[in-house]
Amino acid sequence: MRTRDVGISLALVILAVVAQTAVFGDGRINPWGASPAAVLVVVLACVRYLDPEPSLLLGFTAGMLLDLLGGAPLGLWAMAYTVSVYIALRFRSRADDGPVIVGLGVFLITLVAHSLFVIIGTLFGERFFTSTAVIKDTLLPALYNVVLAAVVFPIVSRLIGRRQRLGWST
Amino acid sequence: MQSFQRFDKSTTLLIALLVVAFLLATFDVRSAGGGIGTTMREGAQTLFSPLQEVAAAVTRPVVGFIDALSDIASLREENDALRLENEELKTEVEQFASIQADLEHLMEINSLEAPEDLPTVTARIVSSGASTLDLVRFIDKGSNDGISVGDAVIDQRGLIGRVDDVFRNSARVRLIFDPNVTISVQDEVTSQTGLLTGDNDTLILRIFNAEEPVREGNVIVTAGSRFPPGIVVGTVKETAADDAGFGLDAEVVAAMNPTRLDYVKVIVGYSPLDAADDETEEPVTDELVEEPTEDTVGEADGNADGADSSGEEAP
Repeated sequence: MRTRDVGISLALVILAVVAQTAVFGDGRINPWGASPAAVLVVVLACVRYLDPEPSLLLGFTAGMLLDLLGGAPLGLWAMAYTVSVYIALRFRSRADDGPVIVGLGVFLITLVAHSLFVIIGTLFGERFFTSTAVIKDTLLPALYNVVLAAVVFPIVSRLIGRRQRLGWST
Repeated sequence: MQSFQRFDKSTTLLIALLVVAFLLATFDVRSAGGGIGTTMREGAQTLFSPLQEVAAAVTRPVVGFIDALSDIASLREENDALRLENEELKTEVEQFASIQADLEHLMEINSLEAPEDLPTVTARIVSSGASTLDLVRFIDKGSNDGISVGDAVIDQRGLIGRVDDVFRNSARVRLIFDPNVTISVQDEVTSQTGLLTGDNDTLILRIFNAEEPVREGNVIVTAGSRFPPGIVVGTVKETAADDAGFGLDAEVVAAMNPTRLDYVKVIVGYSPLDAADDETEEPVTDELVEEPTEDTVGEADGNADGADSSGEEAP
């Protein structure tokens, strides 16, 4: 891993944050009332090739940017994404190669991230649990992310993954 | 010693980052829209707004195309519903003339100004929250344009939400669908007042001591505490009555469409204290006693812009 890879990852995350808030956010492209978590997909794609510490910082930064550009209290997405990256780091070396494993991993980690956001948000006074829509808002992004990962992972792989592979291969 | 070694560098960093995030969240919630959180948000907004505007402009045709595709599927169903609605509306229009006359008369008596007469600032929505759990929009106008926390945001259909954080050149609008938002509203037909709370996809109207049912299609407007009176919020979805005597709950279909928001108007210069002054001249009614959340908290705070309590309950 080189500093250049971290820089590229950060640039990709910033692009993803812009896309998430301007294109995929609530009220934009969100089929059946939910949108993919594009930022998380990019983070997971980068985590494949980065060392653990930069990966965790990348996840934290990505979550923090979403917090700053969103309406929830600061730190909620940051916590959810940092934990998600940690889980991804723990399992990336054990995961078998293959798109099915990658897809399943992306699905489960997105599910964990959104569930954590909902749970931590509720602890901080957000009223996510007042509606059944919370189930849809948690499950659908995980499904969309699997589809999005099929596009994002190869791109990230070409940009920063040529030299080093630590699992999660497509 | 063994257990100490379990905490490798990444685990230690994870814990440190979680602690930082937790502290930030605590400070942000405690400061309730002020402090370091607002400063950081303003900085992020300033940096990202140009990028978001470009992204929104570039992808607008794509978003419109996808919207149109999803619309085709529901057009036939919507067409049938509209035909039926049209027939009902013809009947209602006849009744509306007399209701409008009554309303104008009442507004004259109370010296209330129509929302159209209040100064407004036109703004464009540049971005939204990170997910559908994040029911906010960011607009490209802020405190430099006279916008302040608590201002009502409307479009041609009706109420959209309220400004809940203001920066110099942008502002954050919390939509009426947010479960944290509660609005004092009135049934235009029965004149009963109640509280309307967001429920993500829909709105729930609650009227305590409802003397008569709210009927399907009744228009719900703001009651004039935090927001100027008479702004359309939505229509009652199904007739509901207070059968058990515990209050009446009815689902309300919002007038505004969150997927169709582009340009909006922010009503500036309206102070909840105006409404409070009007209310002090009137005899206290049962509704005012029953619903102190909207009408009294801001007065007690002396908070003209409703920063802490304008339509929202503190977490």
